[in-house]
Amino acid sequence: MFNKLAFRNMRRSARDYLVYFLTMTFVTALMFAFNSLIFADDIEEMFDAAGIMAVLVGLAAFFIVLIVAWLINYMIRFMLEKRSREFGICLLAGMEKKEIARLYIRENALLGTCAFLAGMALGVLLKQVIMAILYSMLQIKYDIHMELNRFCVLMTAGCYAGCYVLALFRSGRKFRKMNIRDLMEAQKKNEEIKESHEQLKKWLFWVSLLFLAVFAVFIFFIGIQDAGQALFFLTGIVLVIYLFYIGLSSWLICYVQKRGEAVYHGQNLFLLRQFSSKLKTMSFTMGTLTALFTLAFLGCTVALMFSDYQNKLLETKFPFDVQIYSGDVKDDFADEIAVLEKETRVLDAFPYHIYADVPLEDQKETEDLRRERASQVNVWLSTHLKTFGDMYRNKDGSPNLKRIEKDSADGAFYCRYDTYMRLSDYNHLRAMLGYKEVLLGEREYLIHVKDRILLEVETMNEDIVIEGDEGELEFAGYYSEPFSQDGHNGGDYVIVVPDSSASSLTPYYAELAVDIEGEAPAGLGRKLDELAEPEDFEESGKSGRSESGEETGKSGQSESGEETGKSGQSETGEETEESGQSERTGGMSEEEEENEDMAFFGHKIMEGNVCCGSDTIVVMSVTNMVRDNLIPEMKYMLSALIFPCFYIGLVFLCVALTVLSVHQLSDSAKYRFRYLVLGKLGMNKQEIGIVILKQLVCYYLCPVILAVVIGGSVSVFMSGKFIFYTGIQSAVFQYFGLTFLLFFGIYALYFITTYVSFRRNVETDL
Amino acid sequence: MKNYIRVCDVEKYYGNASNVTKAVDRVSFTVAQGEFVGVMGASGSGKTTLLNMLSTIDRVTAGHIWYGDTDIAEMKENDLAKFRKANLGFVFQDYNLLDTLTIEENIILAMTIRKESRQEIQKKCDQIMKLLGIADIRDQFPYQVSGGQKQRCACARALVNRPRLILADEPTGALDSRSAQTLLETFTDMNEKMQATILMVTHDAFSASYCSRILFLKDGRIFHELVRGRKERRVFLNEILDVLALTGGEVSNVQ
Repeated sequence: MFNKLAFRNMRRSARDYLVYFLTMTFVTALMFAFNSLIFADDIEEMFDAAGIMAVLVGLAAFFIVLIVAWLINYMIRFMLEKRSREFGICLLAGMEKKEIARLYIRENALLGTCAFLAGMALGVLLKQVIMAILYSMLQIKYDIHMELNRFCVLMTAGCYAGCYVLALFRSGRKFRKMNIRDLMEAQKKNEEIKESHEQLKKWLFWVSLLFLAVFAVFIFFIGIQDAGQALFFLTGIVLVIYLFYIGLSSWLICYVQKRGEAVYHGQNLFLLRQFSSKLKTMSFTMGTLTALFTLAFLGCTVALMFSDYQNKLLETKFPFDVQIYSGDVKDDFADEIAVLEKETRVLDAFPYHIYADVPLEDQKETEDLRRERASQVNVWLSTHLKTFGDMYRNKDGSPNLKRIEKDSADGAFYCRYDTYMRLSDYNHLRAMLGYKEVLLGEREYLIHVKDRILLEVETMNEDIVIEGDEGELEFAGYYSEPFSQDGHNGGDYVIVVPDSSASSLTPYYAELAVDIEGEAPAGLGRKLDELAEPEDFEESGKSGRSESGEETGKSGQSESGEETGKSGQSETGEETEESGQSERTGGMSEEEEENEDMAFFGHKIMEGNVCCGSDTIVVMSVTNMVRDNLIPEMKYMLSALIFPCFYIGLVFLCVALTVLSVHQLSDSAKYRFRYLVLGKLGMNKQEIGIVILKQLVCYYLCPVILAVVIGGSVSVFMSGKFIFYTGIQSAVFQYFGLTFLLFFGIYALYFITTYVSFRRNVETDL
Repeated sequence: MKNYIRVCDVEKYYGNASNVTKAVDRVSFTVAQGEFVGVMGASGSGKTTLLNMLSTIDRVTAGHIWYGDTDIAEMKENDLAKFRKANLGFVFQDYNLLDTLTIEENIILAMTIRKESRQEIQKKCDQIMKLLGIADIRDQFPYQVSGGQKQRCACARALVNRPRLILADEPTGALDSRSAQTLLETFTDMNEKMQATILMVTHDAFSASYCSRILFLKDGRIFHELVRGRKERRVFLNEILDVLALTGGEVSNVQ
């Protein structure tokens, strides 16, 4: 009997709270689809970085479980309140509290199960879409296959069940405290508006606005200087999110009490009062919704940022088909060329050297000067690029040479010495890339820099002195085409001198640039890595082994990766970079640790002269660079950030919208009489429809506007930094703008559904 | 003025072909300007249906309801809302005040919907509140005041636009006897001092005794009519009770 009752009640709940049911279905589908990213076997085999995806999707799942649990808990309490009369009758009829509780939980479990099953069906479809997107990103062909991975289903079910367990955890208490009279009366009770200290509380509104303004000024113009400030603003934002609504509601109440002009126009009085009383009773929920919206915004923005990077910048990072580094200047790359010729058809293989102006021991009198010359560009860049700020300056503004030297020895940004290249090599490489040949006079030099820093180095040539064999050379200009300057052709820059002037330069390291026919076969990079001597591996691969497990251990290679994609950023948006230089230093050392930890991407480290340049956020600098292998791999790693961010963004958005929608719909039923009264006062259906629309718009827009202000300024700031550090050519507002569009698509769906049902609820009696 | 409101052969049927309920069956009467008319009858006699049709909330199945020269039975939905706005005021048993608005704001809202000017609104509002003795609770919310005060607020709201007709559906139904008496005196004042035309539906003889004329409804038809004339209220009440005793109902409701 109870089962039948539970089933019937469940069916009714599903109908009454259709939005909730559909959201749960959609969330399950998302869970399943994104979890399947972890369990994609073919990808796991293909990329050594598959672990990151698992970790990040798992992390996202954790937060999602928490939020969905909140939604379920909220809905359970909400439905309980709405149905209190019914439970009161059950108690009157002689049912025990325990039985009612069990009935209610059974109902919810049934509803959950139905949503789960429907969600799984949808999830299998959604998975195809997500997989298709991922595979097309990775340039792999994807065949649609409708398989249900056992572990994936288990994990999804686990997450889902976890949400319910968390949500039901304390709802039993509610039942124990039930009292028949309260239950019967609960539904009849109208909102009791208690107005007290409104004049005082209304200042919260202005204080919140002021705080937001200060925050915006700081974030855009001054910059957040240290961890203390960051903490201050973070706390402030959280407080503002919650106090803003109390302030706004009081402000509106004061306005109505003061009988402001707008009160006397049309239905404004009704709307203002309606809105302020709603805000008053739900300020906490509204605050939570704002927080969810903000996080959703940030998640989507980060996802879009990285996906933009993927689309625009990645291709330019690897201009050569294959590029190989060797710390041994005598290396003739014979082994590598042999491998390449075996695996593919080589069109052109060009070995060359990168040089340095290393001081010689016998020139004692000019030693200091020579030493200074040997790293002048590195010092100039370390002290002038905005990226570094004051990191490499002493307090008096002079370069902190010790630190530069130490960091270059650790391979942080630049090599120990400035990097040079011979003009003939340079032109050969340009020809390989299809660039125009460059002519230099006998006593001229040029500098090839990354496009990103071109504007910043405009005056550098005035501060440096490049000497050839016969005295000082003249500067002939900058070039900035993509030129593989993350450590291969120098880091950030390479100075090109005429061949005749290069005789005094010392070969610094050797490079091989290769042009091959068609695409490189998968796994070519790995084969090249395998050429490394086993002892090299013993020396430098110690941390890599423990992480990467058997696979890389077997191949006996030394390895490491440079990947500074900061996953933290996706979560908080308040990252190290915001907090200025001192924080940034901290950030860097973290990154270094990360490098050791992340040495599992299966690539050989560049030993000796590591100079990956000033790029941060996404850097890939490895010994054997095979473009067609690396790009999919980079894309996979970026996807590991992009997908979870979208995942979080979507779920948070849906949860927040569901709460908004369910609230309004239940109000439309409970407070139907308000609209009936308006009807009796002489408003026609159309006018009432407009009142409802206005009311919903206010109610829906309010948390979104606050979230847009907070999320928007943080996103624009973040995008600015992202653009600054990666050198991607995009408008600052682009990411946020796109997020906004995506957001409003989903938003509009919920809004329209709510509006239509709201009117239907109200108009049945009109 | 004669024939201020004319109800001609109004019928209202509910149900379908196989099972028709005649809620109102060929009812005709007139209300003169400044009259305080009561409609009495047992539950199910059709009095609320009749009121709903008069108040344009429900439509007639057959017949006409003339307000002066306007037949509301022939009007379109949108025109009806306008008509309601311009001509009718409501007082209901459950007050129907908006719970999010204060007493004063409830009255103001009724006027802002009619797009009146700010000064006009405030002036009228102050006047009517003073008149009905609710000026000192103006800033309270409905839940903070007594039922009688709520009902007086509803009266003020109904009256403030100077409607052609005030329709009251069991206005004392939820009030204690003292409040009910105060309210009925308010109604009489409204009727006598402000010449408001009132049509009140009630099944309570005491309330009805305040009216100048009473229509008795039974099974959808008018079966009797009482006019107070210059009689004492007490005498009129006895007459009403006699009629009720005759129909064998509702005596238990006499207070």
